[in-house]
Amino acid sequence: MAKDDHALIRAVLAGEKDAYGVLVARHGESIFRVAFRITESEADAEEIVQETFLRGYRSLGDFDARSDFRTWIYRIAVNCALRVLSKRKTEAVVAIAEEYDDERPGVQLAHGGAGPDRLLLDREIEHRRHAAMEKMTADERLAFVLRHLEGRSTEEIAAALQVTPNNAKQAVFRAVQKMRRSLAPLWVKS
Amino acid sequence: MKHLTDEQLVEHFLNEEGANRVVVETHLRICSRCEQAYEEISNAMEVRHPEPPARERGYGERVWQSIERPLRPYPAKPKSNGWFTWPRMVLLAACLAGLAAAFIGGSIWERSRNRPLDAVNPAQAKERVVLVILDDHLERSERLLVQLNHAGGADANELLQAEARQLLPDNRLYRQTIAENGDPSMTAALDHLERVLQEIANSPNKLNGADLERIEQGMNTDSLLFQIRVLRARTARPEQKLDSRKGASI
Repeated sequence: MAKDDHALIRAVLAGEKDAYGVLVARHGESIFRVAFRITESEADAEEIVQETFLRGYRSLGDFDARSDFRTWIYRIAVNCALRVLSKRKTEAVVAIAEEYDDERPGVQLAHGGAGPDRLLLDREIEHRRHAAMEKMTADERLAFVLRHLEGRSTEEIAAALQVTPNNAKQAVFRAVQKMRRSLAPLWVKS
Repeated sequence: MKHLTDEQLVEHFLNEEGANRVVVETHLRICSRCEQAYEEISNAMEVRHPEPPARERGYGERVWQSIERPLRPYPAKPKSNGWFTWPRMVLLAACLAGLAAAFIGGSIWERSRNRPLDAVNPAQAKERVVLVILDDHLERSERLLVQLNHAGGADANELLQAEARQLLPDNRLYRQTIAENGDPSMTAALDHLERVLQEIANSPNKLNGADLERIEQGMNTDSLLFQIRVLRARTARPEQKLDSRKGASI
């Protein structure tokens, strides 16, 4: 029978290092998904997963046994992702104003059979979506990703961001407004 | 008409408005302005975001292998020496407390069991004091009755009368006390003694031989003397009884 997260944590703290491997195997993929959603970069997401679990191992002694391990490790992943976003912004301050880079992974939305107009519109939508994501603050982006794309509850988001549920809700709302404003001109045109 | 706020529309899209859902849906059907705003929000939310690339099977294990090497195991907590864990220590303490309580309780019980009669409780101690004093009184009364039976000169009779006057109030008190404690044979004997003492003490003239003989026969003082000797045997202190037994054996 598989041990629960808390039993594995106790085993790790008792000197069984390999028990942490079970936790990594159990939560690795979901952390990757969240990291990718936030960074939209596979390489960054991979790096975030590794850093998250390394930090998690070193901080395991501070883990509160009443907490949920998944929420706790999410919070670490969110902090790692914030650092990546912050680093990215300082390295490319003008990136938002630049034309959309169609070499970025995972943004080719149009299917093979689409005509040139549709391809152009898809590219414009993706450009504006990406710009909207970049305009979001870190909290707004995380709240938006966790709520809208990962389907997490407001309470989980609040725990991950270390804010009140109401503030988490407001962060989601502001993110949606930014996305809406960025994309609104396209709906008027169409 | 009061329009829906953007916040309400976002909540509606995320299914977070709870009980107000029907109200919002009804409003959207009749209000074109709110309907358009909701459509914008829906379009914005339904934009496709890049999907995370699928991870290969055993992705978590691969991550673990990549980070495992630099991690040092947490120092294993020293294993407790069998018995000296908290629950066991508590159990041990409880057992020791139980043993101590049993020992103390047993010794108290043993002490109370072997306690002499006069130390059991205050009432018994008081009774014991009464019996000791009564024994002295009975001894004096016995001597008086013996003298009465062998009375001779006038001086002796005066002494006898004086002694009876001293013994009379004491006897009255003892009789009343014994009567309250419910000892009928002792009460009857003391009552008999009291009448004899009254007769001697309250005689208006000096007692002569005829008076004494009348008292002796009329009040059956021989019988009274026997009764008092029996009572003295009952009221004698344990050490006196022991002494008497020793004397008998010698």
